Amino acid sequence: MGCDAVTFRLTCPVCGKRDIREFTYGGPERGSRPAEADPGSESEAAAEADPAAGAEAHFRWAQFRMNRPEPQEEWWHHGAGCGVWFSTWRDPATNREAPPGAEASEHEAGGGDSS
Amino acid sequence: MSFGSLGRLKSALGAGIVRPGRLWEERPLRRHYDVVIIGGGIHGLATAWYLAKDHGVRDIAVLESQYIGFGGSGRNTAIVRANQRTQENVPLYDEGLKLWPILTDELDFNLMFYNCGNLNLAHSEAAVAASRLAINTAGFCGVRSELLDPHQCGELIPALDISDRPAFPILGGMYHPPGGVVRHDAVVWGLARGAGLHGAAIHQGVDVQGIDVESGRITGVRTSAGPIGCRKLGIMAGGYGPAIAAMLDIELPVNPLTIQAMVTQPLKPFLHHVVSSGEYHIYANQTLKGEIATGAHMDPQVNYTTDVTARYFKHQAEALTDLMPCLKGVRFLRVWAGLADMTPDMAPILDGNFAHEGLYLDVGWGYFGFKSGPVAGKYMAEFMAREEAPEILKPFALRRFLENRYMGETATTMKYGQWD
Repeated sequence: MGCDAVTFRLTCPVCGKRDIREFTYGGPERGSRPAEADPGSESEAAAEADPAAGAEAHFRWAQFRMNRPEPQEEWWHHGAGCGVWFSTWRDPATNREAPPGAEASEHEAGGGDSS
Repeated sequence: MSFGSLGRLKSALGAGIVRPGRLWEERPLRRHYDVVIIGGGIHGLATAWYLAKDHGVRDIAVLESQYIGFGGSGRNTAIVRANQRTQENVPLYDEGLKLWPILTDELDFNLMFYNCGNLNLAHSEAAVAASRLAINTAGFCGVRSELLDPHQCGELIPALDISDRPAFPILGGMYHPPGGVVRHDAVVWGLARGAGLHGAAIHQGVDVQGIDVESGRITGVRTSAGPIGCRKLGIMAGGYGPAIAAMLDIELPVNPLTIQAMVTQPLKPFLHHVVSSGEYHIYANQTLKGEIATGAHMDPQVNYTTDVTARYFKHQAEALTDLMPCLKGVRFLRVWAGLADMTPDMAPILDGNFAHEGLYLDVGWGYFGFKSGPVAGKYMAEFMAREEAPEILKPFALRRFLENRYMGETATTMKYGQWD
């Protein structure tokens, strides 16, 4: 295990590379919240006809994730630094920043001794 | 999808730990099974064991991409308990706790169950009140749990500093006598042996890379050892479950997170109970080897690695020595990490035939995957054999997350970090 494995730095668009402890994870980018029906619109009529469908779409958006072990776009907050919210790409298979569509890095996941 | 290399399997085989033929009969990998289970951990092996023993389903393959017990089954801190919060969860964990001595007998394998009891410390009036609530829930469900004052905590565990000196002084504790620890490797090996004796095939080093569906039915899996057909498929891969469900484009309200634990050098026996503290965010017990096994820090970002972080040593050392000053100067020997598959309500997802016919899912146990393994296997086996959810599992269906019926497990005195 290289010393690389015991810490992880993230690139803040304002401050540059900073220790992961300065950031808060905001989850993967998942598009905008499902639209709520405007009063008097056709979508409102549809929502009244099937109220569960709208709620279900909202719950899916709020909690359901694909979580593939490949690079994903996600949100981070540099709370202990400049305070900016930004999106970046990271690979959950390696826990490192990774551009979209990048091949899996050399870093091998799943290491560590079990007790 | 591979999260490691075959080198690790070879070294485990070389050490003779998981060599086929020693604990279970080595069987050739066939091209079709009635049931394929992904994940050779406690959940998958227990399901295979109960399918074969109780339901006469013997045409089973358990596929493990590494070696049995590689994942959460061998990385937890071996603690078992049944003092959860809700009336749906407590009966499941209660039965799970009562299964350990029965399993020891049935498997004819010493699982080293030690029901030394768990003491969960309260450091605030709010935590004492939450303990009272949990104790009353336990009483309602017929599970023993009681409230101790600081003096009684000190009598139970003399190493605890019950004075006002610690950063978070001890105000009381929830003592749960039936809980304790079980040797986690023994559970893996015992279940593998038992399942093998009943005819299940256990294949290590077989990595599942895709899942085939035809006309709404599961038909098989694509693996590093070629395609394998099946009629029923169980995804029982712990923290890797979401990645496997993603092969079917199934989104889950489950976040796999890296959780770390460590052991100290061996010490003479002094800690005779499991002790935990939400405020300090630690739990600790002394193993039969004398080490203090202690956890657990969880990184907040979705992460399939088992990397450890330096800053966690510091936190754990500070927390342990503040609670038990006699540990000052003791050294840590090893640190490791595993995956916790966290759901928003801290309760698992146990479901079947929900997206495709023949698909069964056992995922989202978070911190509770070890203590629940055998009981989950018992009921998932019933589910898979009868193709109908047993009553006790019905509240755990995936649909609850689409109907705003979250369970209240996050209201326990234990703290689950930012996932509370």
